[in-house]
Amino acid sequence: MKHLQVDWTRCDGHGLCARLLSERITLDEWGFPIIDGRDLTVRELSSARLAVRSCPRLALTLEPTVTPASR
Amino acid sequence: MSTATITPSAQATPPVYVVGTARLLAGDTPAVPARDQRWLVEAARAAGLLGRGGAAFPVAAKLASVGRGATVLVNGSESEPASWKDRVLMRCVPGLVLDGALLVAGALHSREVVLAVADASSVAALQAASHQRGAGGRVRVVHTENGFVGGEVQALVNGLDQRPAVPNGRRVLPTVRGVGGRPTFASNVETFAQLALLAAHGPEGFASVGTAAEPGTTLVSVHTPDHGTSVVEVPHGTTLASLVGTSRPLLIGGYHGSWTAATDLRIERPALRAAGIGWGAGVVATLPETTCPIGEIARVAAWLAGESVGQCGPCVFGLAAIAGDLTALARGQRADTAGLRRRLGLVPGRGACSHPDGAARFVASGLQAYAEDLSRHERGGGCGRPVLSALPLGGPR
Ligand code: SF4
Ligand code: SF4
Repeated sequence: MKHLQVDWTRCDGHGLCARLLSERITLDEWGFPIIDGRDLTVRELSSARLAVRSCPRLALTLEPTVTPASR
Repeated sequence: MSTATITPSAQATPPVYVVGTARLLAGDTPAVPARDQRWLVEAARAAGLLGRGGAAFPVAAKLASVGRGATVLVNGSESEPASWKDRVLMRCVPGLVLDGALLVAGALHSREVVLAVADASSVAALQAASHQRGAGGRVRVVHTENGFVGGEVQALVNGLDQRPAVPNGRRVLPTVRGVGGRPTFASNVETFAQLALLAAHGPEGFASVGTAAEPGTTLVSVHTPDHGTSVVEVPHGTTLASLVGTSRPLLIGGYHGSWTAATDLRIERPALRAAGIGWGAGVVATLPETTCPIGEIARVAAWLAGESVGQCGPCVFGLAAIAGDLTALARGQRADTAGLRRRLGLVPGRGACSHPDGAARFVASGLQAYAEDLSRHERGGGCGRPVLSALPLGGPR
């Protein structure tokens, strides 16, 4: 399982990610992404990957979800 | 950051009191025998010892997670402005702090012990204690100049290694990569002093005061309208009411902590945590009745917004907006309290460190504890009381 994560020291609020993955990412009043960090569904994965690749600041990443069992 | 000339500190040590048996502040530092890593891990586990910097991480687990040769880092930045306890320890019993650091260094076969300290008087006291013990070759006392967030351990490590003293975008545990890129056992000043006591008294002797869930004593930085600022050593289990004796809301933990109206709380980290309250750096404060609490909260919020080190958008813009909302509200201007509440929900979890989370907790819990005053301000015109600036903000060290 994977989920989205933002490196806040990099993100500068371009907001591109929210356009590419509006199901999971909205923008706050300052233009910074509000991420639904729950596990992505298989159907969402490809647009999530596109959003990650498109982030101009390389701030957005797909991270494996660590469950107690896999730790 | 510099090791250059140390100017005398601007601030005098506040009065120091002991409730019950003095341990940290016993006056005569006990002889601290050398212990190996296994002994220390077991003893820390038996004593239920939790880190004293704010996160209350189990010391045994952290000690067990570092290998032979790890660097020892004593975090003496005491960046929480309402906290005084670490400076009291470093100024009054620097030998105990140093013995604790050398104890851990011995157990881990460390090559280096680094004490990162922002307070000039504490630097001088620790240097003298180190000299006295002939430990100067292994011990490095570094005079740091970090702000609130700079005291966060990742930021501290970055500063020590001549990088900007800000948290990393991606979390790296110091036990994995710390000072000089080496695995590092880092903890707060009081943690090391407690480890020294643990080695000196043994787990049973250590547990002869305190509670079963949390043996031993702890230091509290207390701020009350009647007695000002003081530092008190108390056995765990002491009631907060006996310490501050008030029915007014209490701030617990500091400026990343929370306000509460509960008066039946005891000082015991596991029990407080179960009640949803973090003990943080051990700060307890109450406001005088003559001040405007909304103004006091706004004043600290503005300070917290200024301490955001400017890396992460939601923290930078969010805390500034929250502080702006609060300031308007405190002045009795028409304020968007719905917007304020929404913003308070928006900043937690959206930064490289827990600064936005802690700042939002401080504000949100304060507005809840002072709900009546808040509604008076919401109706416009304020409450008519001045803002006395009763809560200490960071000043020169
Ligand atoms: S695209 Fe990247 S930089 Fe832009 S808002 Fe999203 S995460 Fe931030
Ligand atoms: S969350 Fe705030 S204080 Fe922490 S690193 Fe980011 S901008 Fe700085």
